[in-house]
Amino acid sequence: MAPKHEDKSNVSRRDFFKTVGVTSVATSILTSPKTQAQEGQAEVLGPGTVPIRLTINGQVRDFQIEPRVTLLDTIRNYAGLTGNKRVCDRGACGACTMIVDGRTVYSCSTLAIDVQGKTIRTVDGLASGDTLHPVQQAFCESDAMMCGFCTPGFVVATVAMLEKYPSATPEQMQRELNGNVCRCGTFNRIYEAATKARRGQAFQGTVDNLAAAVKSEVTRG
Amino acid sequence: MAKQDIPGRRPTTQPVPAEAAKTYAWPSSPTLIGTSIMRLDGPDKVTGRAKYTFDIARPGMIYGKLIRSPHAHARIVSINLAPARQAPGVKAVFEWKSAGSEVMYQGDVVAAIAAETESQVNDAARLVRVEYEILPHLVNETQGLKPDAPLVFQDGNTSSSSLQETGDLDAGFKAAAHIVEAEYSTHVITHVCLESHGAVCEWDGDNLTAWVSTQGVHATRQQIARNLKIPETNVRVICDHMGGGFGSKVAADAPIVAAARLAKEAGRPVKLMLDRKEEHLDAGNRPSAFARVRAGVSVDGMLTAFEATTWGTGGAGQAANFPLPYIYQFPNRRREHTNVYINAGLQRPMRAPGHPQGCFVTEVLMDELADRANMDPLELRLKNLPPTAPDAMWREYYQMGAERFGWDRRHPTGDPTPGPIKTGMGISANTWGGGGRAGNAHIDILSDGSVTVKCGTQDLGTGTRTIVPLIAAETLGLPLAAITAEIGDSALPFAGVSGGSTATAGVGPAVRIAAGLARDALFARVAPTLGVDPEALVTNNSRIQSKDTPSTGMSWKDACKLLGAEPISVDGQWEPGLSSVNTSGVQFAEVTVDIDTGIVKVKRILAIQDCGLVLDKLTTESQVYGGVIGSLNFALFENRLLDQRTGQMVNPNMESYLLGSMADIPEIDVVVVDQPERGIIGVGEPPTVPTASAIANAVRNATGATIRSLPLHPDRVLAALQQTKTGGATV
Repeated sequence: MAPKHEDKSNVSRRDFFKTVGVTSVATSILTSPKTQAQEGQAEVLGPGTVPIRLTINGQVRDFQIEPRVTLLDTIRNYAGLTGNKRVCDRGACGACTMIVDGRTVYSCSTLAIDVQGKTIRTVDGLASGDTLHPVQQAFCESDAMMCGFCTPGFVVATVAMLEKYPSATPEQMQRELNGNVCRCGTFNRIYEAATKARRGQAFQGTVDNLAAAVKSEVTRG
Repeated sequence: MAKQDIPGRRPTTQPVPAEAAKTYAWPSSPTLIGTSIMRLDGPDKVTGRAKYTFDIARPGMIYGKLIRSPHAHARIVSINLAPARQAPGVKAVFEWKSAGSEVMYQGDVVAAIAAETESQVNDAARLVRVEYEILPHLVNETQGLKPDAPLVFQDGNTSSSSLQETGDLDAGFKAAAHIVEAEYSTHVITHVCLESHGAVCEWDGDNLTAWVSTQGVHATRQQIARNLKIPETNVRVICDHMGGGFGSKVAADAPIVAAARLAKEAGRPVKLMLDRKEEHLDAGNRPSAFARVRAGVSVDGMLTAFEATTWGTGGAGQAANFPLPYIYQFPNRRREHTNVYINAGLQRPMRAPGHPQGCFVTEVLMDELADRANMDPLELRLKNLPPTAPDAMWREYYQMGAERFGWDRRHPTGDPTPGPIKTGMGISANTWGGGGRAGNAHIDILSDGSVTVKCGTQDLGTGTRTIVPLIAAETLGLPLAAITAEIGDSALPFAGVSGGSTATAGVGPAVRIAAGLARDALFARVAPTLGVDPEALVTNNSRIQSKDTPSTGMSWKDACKLLGAEPISVDGQWEPGLSSVNTSGVQFAEVTVDIDTGIVKVKRILAIQDCGLVLDKLTTESQVYGGVIGSLNFALFENRLLDQRTGQMVNPNMESYLLGSMADIPEIDVVVVDQPERGIIGVGEPPTVPTASAIANAVRNATGATIRSLPLHPDRVLAALQQTKTGGATV
């Protein structure tokens, strides 16, 4: 698995040469209990397809895929859940962020075969029906998105942060959200949305009446 | 002094408003326009339900990939597709270039292939055998300019554009009390759209449906048809959501055309999306800019003369020009520009093409001239700006900003505070043409009261999907939720490319006019029942009523019932009078520089920006935030690095091609100045012009180091500090 960062890590992502994701894909094959033979001899899986069972957003799903397929590609291409995006494909940008057993991971740099038996949460599973998760609502209210391609990763990272630190300090918020990149430049408003969601200020409503909650703030220069 | 043309702007003479534009002028007291409206596709984007091209899955869809040159310059000796064709899952493969032709940069397309799965197409692509004869290449501007450089480009490694000359340069320099002579430069950056370039293409007989990540569904349709030599009516381009373009997605480029051809050959829908490396190599970039400048200022702080030799590269055969000098008025000037070609990916328009470069050269020069003249940089600027006008408000914005930002707390060049952390402030201005020229919209009002607006524009993330129904709702007196908007499809009425900050100013007037015509058509149908003249009717809060006696009226729903089997169906077209051109804006930056490590941190930015009529305050502000952050990345992080020996890019990824993230982002104070009387202009580009220059000036102000080039990476800042200490120039 490719953990996004350890709790104590205070290293800015741009200062830290991000081979973590890439190398852990390689090493995880060696260390995963699934791929280790009982008596010390390596069990070879692949290159053909193998059965894989994943628990995605509370649902158990079975796949027949090659062992080299990442968690992200499995969920996008085989489970049809396309919310999380593939952008850098090397664990550097966070658009693929998912929560696995309570921790954020770069799913582009995590093999699906390695997360069998674990609880996988993606952006697609956060809302319940038409009721948005408070973090999603806060993102809408603060316009914490433009093109929206990084947004799923940021939403998941924010949810994970607030589950870990319900009263996150500004420093914790900045650090926990520092593993994601937005090219349109919506950081300030993502921070604002995260703050709003932390304080429980996000409007509690459904997708349909979000538009009705529009505030009128006519400011003429 | 006579008013000069300001490079990079549209002609300021406006066409006379046409009839419909007069009839449907923007409302003087709007209910929705100018307020903060949440973008309507927000819920789709935050839940992952929004379908981008990358997310499209079609029955039987297979995956395409391009095979590209690893070499900066080579001749293709042979291409052998046979091993790839026999690989598992392969359904189509063809040559893009043929043996004997040349590849001009790393990433130049050689062949295309499609297979059942992504893994299979990646495996099979590696089996395509291409034999190359390596040819000499040029990697940087200096090599390209050398007279004895190998002739890499048939018509020459450089091309000169015409000389620009105004006034009397000699007299200008004679009038100067101080002269600055220096060389400035900015670097090449790539667009780094998070959704890569690409398409999903599906044929039904001779008809092609293409889901394309594009800034222009109509333009892309035309280009696909031309490329495939099929009738335009046979092509439909769809783009519901797209993950960033910034100017790089305005053409039907290789991945789109290849996807269509692969789909034809395979008889299956094909998805072909570039990977991150391809995206850096062959999906556009912002050209470099170099300027050797000599400029003079008089003893009383008036600019007198500007002479520049400039050059830059747009890669393997593209121009690299930029407006210079930028905004400030040098009465006597001369400039000669040369485009240099190198073996690297081609430039494409990138958010305010040319302006960040010209702005950097001019604004940094301005601070140096101010120091020579012993003046505050703000004062020098105020003295030399073009005359104030609605489209030239820099003087007012600078003064407003100075107060808001606390410019009076700025110290002269070089922070005297002891210790390694130095603080400084800088300023810079921007302008952009924007404005609209064309656009169409169609409105249907049906007997059940439903309203649909159809417009073949697209939403890059700027909020077009929200703006279109917003204008219709305002005009019809309905809540936003009552309007259905259809955009992002070439089957809808023609609208232009979302580029040059022209999308909203193009389609906004069309929607306003269509909605106005639809409203008046409804009035005509309702008036007899109400027993009043149609001209006496108004819409208000989902009701149609008499202007003078509001009790005479009926609800929107009841009014529409009168339509029966003949709904209202009208078209509107862009006309002059509801949009305008040319914006102005200024930015202030405060930074800290650690002179031991060279690390620059931006503490805060103030951005004051006008863009004519503000439609949705929320999404307008978002564009300003985005522009500022894009420019901050340009100043501090991004840099396309080419290996001097091989001509290959050494950082075609997102871990060593740097972009700022949360911890790098300063407090940004956005002030959007609404100018409703000017109509729509557009704001996508101007805010990304000046931040980098303001940051560079702030670094100079903090440290006293001579900063004349970007990016301000720590090693380069340290080098500048060292050189300044030892009395030399420059970074």
